[in-house]
Amino acid sequence: MKEINLKKYKKHFKGYTELRLQENKQVNISFVNGSNKNNIQDSSAGVSARVNQNGAWGFASTPGTSRNDVKNIINEAQKNASFLARRKKTKKELNKKYNGRGDWDYSTAKPRLSQKELVQFMQKLDNHIEQKYTKLKSRSLFLNTLDMEKRLLTSESQVSYSLFPRSFIYVKLSTEKNGEKFEITDSFGGLGHFEDNFSEPADLYSEINELYNHLMKKREGVYAEAGSCECILDSELAGILAHEAFGHTVEADLVKSGSVAETYMNKKVAAPAVSMIDYANKAFGETCPVPVHVDDEGIQARDTVIIEDGILKSYMHNRETAREFDAEPTGHGRAFSFSDEPLIRMRNTAILPGEHTLSEMISSIEDGYYLIRPSNGQADSTSEFMFGIILGYEIKNGKLGRAIRDTTISGVAVDVLQSVSMISDDITWISSGMCGKKQSIPVGLGGPAVKCRVNLGGR
Amino acid sequence: MQNSNDLKSYLELLSKAGADKAQCTLNKRRLFEINVESDEISLLRTTYNQELNLNVIRNQARGNININQITDSAVKKAARQAVRIAESSQPDEAHDISPGPLNKKFEKGPDREDRNKMYELLAEFLHQVQQKYPLINLEQVNFRFYNNNRQLSNTNNVYLSEQKSFYTFSTMFMAKKGDQTSSFNHTRFSSLNLQEGLLKKGSIAQLLAQSEKQIKTKSIPEKFTGDIIITPDCLSDFINMYINISLRDNPLIEGTSMFADQLEQKAADSKFTLYSRPVDPDTAGGYFITGDGFLSENAVIFKNGVLKRFLLSQYGANKTGREMSNNRGGAYVVEPGEMTRNKIIKTVDRGLLVARFSGGSPNQNGDFSGIAKNSFYIEKGQIKYPVAETMISGNLKNIFNNIGAISNKRINFGDDILPWILTTGITISGGN
Repeated sequence: MKEINLKKYKKHFKGYTELRLQENKQVNISFVNGSNKNNIQDSSAGVSARVNQNGAWGFASTPGTSRNDVKNIINEAQKNASFLARRKKTKKELNKKYNGRGDWDYSTAKPRLSQKELVQFMQKLDNHIEQKYTKLKSRSLFLNTLDMEKRLLTSESQVSYSLFPRSFIYVKLSTEKNGEKFEITDSFGGLGHFEDNFSEPADLYSEINELYNHLMKKREGVYAEAGSCECILDSELAGILAHEAFGHTVEADLVKSGSVAETYMNKKVAAPAVSMIDYANKAFGETCPVPVHVDDEGIQARDTVIIEDGILKSYMHNRETAREFDAEPTGHGRAFSFSDEPLIRMRNTAILPGEHTLSEMISSIEDGYYLIRPSNGQADSTSEFMFGIILGYEIKNGKLGRAIRDTTISGVAVDVLQSVSMISDDITWISSGMCGKKQSIPVGLGGPAVKCRVNLGGR
Repeated sequence: MQNSNDLKSYLELLSKAGADKAQCTLNKRRLFEINVESDEISLLRTTYNQELNLNVIRNQARGNININQITDSAVKKAARQAVRIAESSQPDEAHDISPGPLNKKFEKGPDREDRNKMYELLAEFLHQVQQKYPLINLEQVNFRFYNNNRQLSNTNNVYLSEQKSFYTFSTMFMAKKGDQTSSFNHTRFSSLNLQEGLLKKGSIAQLLAQSEKQIKTKSIPEKFTGDIIITPDCLSDFINMYINISLRDNPLIEGTSMFADQLEQKAADSKFTLYSRPVDPDTAGGYFITGDGFLSENAVIFKNGVLKRFLLSQYGANKTGREMSNNRGGAYVVEPGEMTRNKIIKTVDRGLLVARFSGGSPNQNGDFSGIAKNSFYIEKGQIKYPVAETMISGNLKNIFNNIGAISNKRINFGDDILPWILTTGITISGGN
């Protein structure tokens, strides 16, 4: 990212102002059935300013980074804020001051691989899959790396800097039986540059083998029985339950708009065994998949305890909602691109581990399902949620049975969380997806396995 | 602003750096947006961006680079890097660029937004919603003006330019009474010009009224197989799902499309005719140029249920040995039927009026399941009550092959024009 001394523009600020310089760099490489379909480098950089006047926000951004470009964009954001402020009936000043600061760089210390070496890595992985798994109808491999680099100055704070890299390899395998098609996907990687997440293609072979075995079982699989049932949601699904089904309803902007959580504060929203935290940057002694230290409003990021022993304890705030709810902001104001304004976003949302082992949990179910991998998820203001399921098994008399075909689960988060009767003693993070709320942004979802009741779509 | 000479100089840089074939695309975008959050106008946003894509083929291997810092030195560096990326790629005979010579320019929409008028219309909309729909909370409204300029040029002597601008309006809302909340719903429309009365556009007024009736919902009595009437807002999702898993590059290259061998064959009910009209003069948005550098055209995708084309890019066509399409979907128009919506409801013995679908991605066979959101239970031809936690499961092929009726009235969203569709044989199950 171009070096710009943001401090010299502070003299142009009028009222509360954020000035952010940002560059997102991506690499995308894909192989479809052995063909190298894409090999792309992408860079998007620029400057944005956001200004608040009497509670009205003005925002402007430009890819230009010259002295005049930066001055002009501050000026345009001010004009935009004035346009609204002149027409606003009520004044809501942001009167509290916050001073987040610091530098965080998660770059690799290892020598960087060339684009050619990345392509060769993917090709070797593809060759391995082609040669070993002859029953496949098709295979697709996709590498995505993202480096998000930001420098932020607010009218209240010093300059903060962050470089957050993430890298993922996505694998999709398909097969056929009697003219019917079956597909399964998985992703590998996480926080860090490619070099920190991957060393040899062979390191992924056992996980790909496991994926293939799941696909072969799914090929023989059955439709789930539609209706309400007892399930174990494995860690990926518990993570998405935490984020999608409950987390969104307690984002304070959605609470303001009337989400069902408006009346739940300090009330029971889950079984007593359930606690849920949105971690800022460290959890269980390790760095989270999406570490946030200072958010894009210059707030020092702290953990937010959302549910403690089944009781709702806190919403997630930005500067504005913190003022309105008389709460302290804990660093949820985040933007994806230089041209995006910060919105209230989760960071690393997890249900905390419990006391049981997964095998104990499976043994405890007479007739139900063990659901392992989601495809996508959506939630509602009512806390009703839906997750697509692409990998799961029946549980019959305490034992895993046949694989099931793709299905969907749904439920009302508060009811489902209240139905939680067992929680496993481990935690797994996933972070390969993006959360969409006006802008897409990386998030971390963590969970143990949880036993609960949900509705299943099926036949 | 960069012009055709700039693109020409970029192509020369790429050729000098070693490209056998090269294509450059320059996008310049300006967005003006007024935002409503929680019933209040909260943010005014202006963004400028530009993106230069350098697409290189060397020894039949492809490299791509996108940059948005477009200075002479940055472009020179990117040109050298684009060739290096191509050198790092595996060759594929299917890579190519669009053939020339061709020189065309297109323009659509106003040059600049009328921001005072946008503000006035939005303020009027907020006031009207407050007056007419007192239970509605507007979670978010985005009223936008897009001004996009796109130029594409390649070493086959192609130069295409597209200048288009349009307004879009999208809103997300819910109804609330005491501590009870409806599901959120959302809708949108786009327009080439600012017109009076945002509340009257698209399906906005209908959906706001429906949401007020959806605060108190009820579970359906039991699991059953029945009919669903898919509303225009929801139909757009089903059409996109059907097309994405069967007619585009990836499913056809991977060999997973369920329609791989069904061109010119029946793939939907004979009542179903679907057009894609990206170059209609009345379509807001749309596209005159495809992403890979061909002139776009309007197309019929299903004609009386017969599949008329795949939506393949040049690469997809070369890879599969099929015909390329100058239409890549979007701006969907479904031919209307003959019955009124109310008459269609009267034909339903037992089923749902589905206004929003929240579901998992359908699998390659077309199987889908998900929640029928903002939906109503229908029994013996009458809408009975809004439903809670109701799942619908079925197969997309069946949805489009078992069409019982299509409404004579359609909603014009400014790009899509869609009716209500009745379809049968859906598994409908509740939470109890």
